Amino acid sequence: MIQIDGLTRAFHGVPAVSGVSFTVGAGEIHGLCGHNGAGKSTVVKMLTGQLTPDSGRIVIGDEPVELRSRQAAQRAGVALVDQELSVVPALTVGENMLLGDIHAPLVNRRRAAYAHCRRVLDDMGLEGIDPDQPLSTLSIGEQQLIEIAKALSQRARLVILDEPTATLTDVESASVFAAIRRVAATGCSIIFVSHRLAEVLELCHSVTVLRDGRKIATTPTADLTVDALIVQMLGEPPFRLAAARKPDHDLAHALRISGLRVPGRLRDFSLTANAGRIYALAGQLGSGASDVLRAVAGLHPTAIGTVELHDRPVPVRDPVAAARHGVAFLSNDRKSEGLFLDRSVGWNLTATRLPFFARAGVLQPRRELVIARALAERSGLPEHRLGDPVAALSGGNQQKAFVGRCLGRDDVFALLLDEPTRGVDIGGRAAIHQLLRRAADAGLVVLFASTELDELLELGDVIVTMRDGQIVNRYDGDVDVDGVLLMRDMTRGIA
Amino acid sequence: MPAVSLLVVIVAFACSPLLSGTPLQPFDVYNALQGFAQLGLPALAIGITMIAGEFDLSIVGTYALGGMLAVSTGVSSPALGVLAAVAAGAAIGAAQGALIARLRIPSMPVTLATYIALLGLTYAISGGLSKTYPNSDVTLWVDQTLAGIFSPRSLLTLAVFLIAAVVLGRTRLGRELRAIGGDRRASRVAGVGVDGLVIGLFTVSGTLAALGGALLSYSYASANPDPGLQPLILAAVAALLGGVSLAGGRGTPLGLLAGALSVALLAQIVAITALPDFTTQLLYAALLAVIVAIESPGLRALLDRFRASRADRPQTLS
Repeated sequence: MIQIDGLTRAFHGVPAVSGVSFTVGAGEIHGLCGHNGAGKSTVVKMLTGQLTPDSGRIVIGDEPVELRSRQAAQRAGVALVDQELSVVPALTVGENMLLGDIHAPLVNRRRAAYAHCRRVLDDMGLEGIDPDQPLSTLSIGEQQLIEIAKALSQRARLVILDEPTATLTDVESASVFAAIRRVAATGCSIIFVSHRLAEVLELCHSVTVLRDGRKIATTPTADLTVDALIVQMLGEPPFRLAAARKPDHDLAHALRISGLRVPGRLRDFSLTANAGRIYALAGQLGSGASDVLRAVAGLHPTAIGTVELHDRPVPVRDPVAAARHGVAFLSNDRKSEGLFLDRSVGWNLTATRLPFFARAGVLQPRRELVIARALAERSGLPEHRLGDPVAALSGGNQQKAFVGRCLGRDDVFALLLDEPTRGVDIGGRAAIHQLLRRAADAGLVVLFASTELDELLELGDVIVTMRDGQIVNRYDGDVDVDGVLLMRDMTRGIA
Repeated sequence: MPAVSLLVVIVAFACSPLLSGTPLQPFDVYNALQGFAQLGLPALAIGITMIAGEFDLSIVGTYALGGMLAVSTGVSSPALGVLAAVAAGAAIGAAQGALIARLRIPSMPVTLATYIALLGLTYAISGGLSKTYPNSDVTLWVDQTLAGIFSPRSLLTLAVFLIAAVVLGRTRLGRELRAIGGDRRASRVAGVGVDGLVIGLFTVSGTLAALGGALLSYSYASANPDPGLQPLILAAVAALLGGVSLAGGRGTPLGLLAGALSVALLAQIVAITALPDFTTQLLYAALLAVIVAIESPGLRALLDRFRASRADRPQTLS
């Protein structure tokens, strides 16, 4: 039995989790749900020793425990399947299964270890995988299954699975569920974090819902439906009335995507998008929404399908060609794929248009400054910060610089953004939305992926919901949409 | 891949009489193993840090300091000299490891600074001159011929490699070291105590480098305050030939052993065949280029594409 009592944690004075309490009985599978930013990850991190709570108690069995490190959590009997794939490709399957296990012997007993791993793999229905096989020879889905097998085999008292099925196929998920039930039947407590609500209802005995860092309710699944769960998660759901930007048949088809596929991530995606409109792809982790953007930008080396921009075919799998054809892509990972953090704001703004202020290949600093000033003004960045390194800016201003880089260029026709306001405060968010609207009004196609319901509803002229690598529904500007509708599509999919 | 490189070099070694005109002597093998003894410990020191995803540039500094400390303190008791060298190497390594792990500094700048500082320190101890080691009994003992081809020095080096092979291949510690080289975040999530391992790792690499320096200075009966960059470069070549990846996570001590033996044998081939000295460098470069190219992902992708295109070709069956 696991008791969580008044767990509280703040970051820089902003509470992420406040006073969350719930109990997971022995042998119980307990769902933990909540929309983005509800505090699920923070709770998981506190239960697994990756974060220390500011206050509150965790009781495992009869004893209160202090989990100051991953090792301490393991000693207390907590095993974790992390949200991100956390296996080491350089090791074998068996080595990964034993990695970090404090009960593993200091000196390997090869036969015993092999037999142990073999048994665990067989239990999961993974007879085809050999413990001595290098992990890098497995598919991503299989690697995920290995990580789950590892956590389930540690004879823990509490196993936490954080979005374990986001990247799995239905068949793989089914074998994971069978294994989870088997482990629970031995008296182990399970916490199952997922946004796939139908799965939560199928697997769990009861569900705790968090919203804005607080517990809303713990309900037995027998008394729940997907819609009831969504209402608990969203509270007052946001909505969008049939908007002024109705489908306009006079607008030119600017971007045509047909039969776009990325093995293992995107099954089939087609969309025809008009210039001057903003298209929102609504999809959770693993839905394929961000893979659409990456594939169109040429960043998926295995993508197939056709992309046309203003009737010119854009070769897929070639990021340089995509950029030359006028596709600008802004990653959700500004830090590693977007900005030059230690360079100045001005430097970043002008980095993609060097030919415009070069004469015979030599850069003209004065002309660069003029352009940088103009761009800063257009993207709402204070001019006196042009010389500051981007790293010194707030998340919102960083994103503005990122967007600003793609503005005012007559060679960019499509703007693709993955999570355009992740890590951005409310003021910055409104400014970025305004920027994107202006870009669309100037005749660009804007296509963005997001999991934020407010953002999807506020910004999207057309909202396309996705799950499991394909489109679920499309909501044009002439229909009413609300958060419940979108959430249902994103979490349950085609019935 | 390390086996390929070793095999190529052994075949070349066996064929070297064709060029030199005199048959191979056990003494030639002994000499090659002496070369291995000189190179092996620094190669192992840098190799294990590379396997764990770090890079210890300071090994040459520790190597020089170890030699200098051993000849200064080990005149009457050679064991004491080795002990002093090893203790200093371990302490320097532990301090570097603590900086790298706790302050999350990349190992390159830390170990580069240590390398320079240690050269300065060694220079200060010696006054910039080579320091001779007067105890000639020890010098004779460490290089005496055993079983025709070995010496205590080469046997000790081999033994250290075998211990490393067992630790890295057969223990939890070894698995965790390879894991932190492969994916540090995943290792942390899995519950590996990354910081402790990094500190231990640098302690061991410092110890090994100092031990290597001490043994070498006993063998030469003198300690050199600045061994130059040659030992570092050869150690890195041995590690790369040994299948260690610069990205970390890959490589084994036995691979490192094969790499170090390849480098030592190649030098001996040049000596036997009386080729000019610069040939050694050219041969190292050629061997390294070939081995690294064979393993390169680009070449593998090319081969895959080639195979796929052949498989795609319509079968013309009548």
